[in-house]
Amino acid sequence: MFNTTEVYVVAHSLVPGGRHYEKGLKELFAEAFLRVLDQVGNSQIGAIYVANAFSQVLQDQSALGAFLSDYVGLRRVPAIRIESGDGSSGVAMLEAYNMVKAGIYDCVAVVGVEKMHDVVSIKLNKALATITDYEYEGFFGVTPAAQAAMAMREYMLKYGYDYEDLAIWPIKMHERGSKNPYAYMRKQATLKDILESEVVADPLRLYDTAPAVDGAAAVVLCNKPLRDNAVIKIEGVGIGAYGTYLGQRDSLTELVSVRDATNMALKMAHLSINDINLVEVHDTYSILGMLALESMGLVRPGETPRLLSMGALDAGNKPVVNASGGLKAMGFPGGASGMYEVVSMVMELMNEKPFDSLGKVEYGIVQDMAGFDLISTVMIFRRVG
Amino acid sequence: MVEQRLSVPRYWRRIPQYYRLEGVQCVKCGRIYYPPRAVCECGSREFRPYQLPSMGKLLNFTVLYSVPAEFEKMKPLIIGIVDLGGVRVVGQIVDCMNPEKLTPGMDVEVVFRMVKMDGTYGLINYGYKFRPLDNC
Repeated sequence: MFNTTEVYVVAHSLVPGGRHYEKGLKELFAEAFLRVLDQVGNSQIGAIYVANAFSQVLQDQSALGAFLSDYVGLRRVPAIRIESGDGSSGVAMLEAYNMVKAGIYDCVAVVGVEKMHDVVSIKLNKALATITDYEYEGFFGVTPAAQAAMAMREYMLKYGYDYEDLAIWPIKMHERGSKNPYAYMRKQATLKDILESEVVADPLRLYDTAPAVDGAAAVVLCNKPLRDNAVIKIEGVGIGAYGTYLGQRDSLTELVSVRDATNMALKMAHLSINDINLVEVHDTYSILGMLALESMGLVRPGETPRLLSMGALDAGNKPVVNASGGLKAMGFPGGASGMYEVVSMVMELMNEKPFDSLGKVEYGIVQDMAGFDLISTVMIFRRVG
Repeated sequence: MVEQRLSVPRYWRRIPQYYRLEGVQCVKCGRIYYPPRAVCECGSREFRPYQLPSMGKLLNFTVLYSVPAEFEKMKPLIIGIVDLGGVRVVGQIVDCMNPEKLTPGMDVEVVFRMVKMDGTYGLINYGYKFRPLDNC
């Protein structure tokens, strides 16, 4: 055993999601990275983990990391790109965590960066379809939206919900986003707006999908805190897998990889799920956010729409779900999306604006996932001091 | 039509699956898999080819309006999960002008159709799709 050290999040930054046509991967990366670099001062960053899903498909760029570290004047610092679809960020966080935990580096940066708007939507759909089993799903036109839509249909049938009941997810996420200056969607949404929005994949509507954005977000992990007041420590990490062709799954309403990742992280942190105060889930589609909560054990299966509409998952409760507004409000920057969740969670635990009203709570959990239950990661953050 | 530069060998090596829905059956325990895989749940690595039946039942479906580039001219696509003799296959549901008439449990048959084409002079990819037996 060479686990000798603790791992702290000592800096964080986020470029709000948007259509950053004037910026490429390098500029977005630099914007997020230089901000965390300035926060840590002269700390030696041993390596940079870059979470990115689509640079080969959308920007014709392989070995992305090399060009990013050179761009920020750190040519001899290895920047390692992690590609795990839209779940790249969580895997990059785990790899970075392991490097610090194992004592290989004192400090490691993790940067998620993605440019979704370099192509038109039908080409982006094709890129997203590569997160399916492409030979047998994407080949026939299956996309992640189609998979989520069928999961939504199964969920509605299984628990007896109408579409209107599930519309509570986008309503709540837009409400949270309207109070978050870092959000991309900062407008409240009414049931009428949602019911009148276009159908993406029946029964899934536009408001059920996290809007694609360009963006970047970064943290620095170190083996000691850089200040002695409130700091964020990573208490546990977990990873789970259930990658399979959709037809070989027994159920579309349980995310096995999320359940396994959660249990692994809780075990490492010596916690039970009831200890968790705040949660950020990977709601690329509203149904996936609900299934994640239920698969993590935070909400009983089939209860999420009911609890949400009662306000039982809003600020002041335990747990508070997606105080940031989730990816629904923050936007969906592909492989960087998990870093948006991580940075939001750090800000929430630190009570930074606009999360100052959440109060001093101890534990936050972040869930990231690639595709439909393919590979999931869960990280537990603790506010200490 | 968008130029896809579809790869010949990538398509050609999947012809048994795309044309005939050829899965595999474990020689030891009899489990059937589609798509084929190298190791069975029982641990065995011995399989024989197994052709799925051509009649089945619709289990779940969605009408997909936001499609990838190569399907732009065919939208909306109906994507469904079909049970073929106990094996579930994901694919397109075709010959259905009124998707609101689709219901889980309805009978479907396997049909052979064009899946995508690569511009005017490129490769045409064929494969299985599913057609409801009752008009819809």
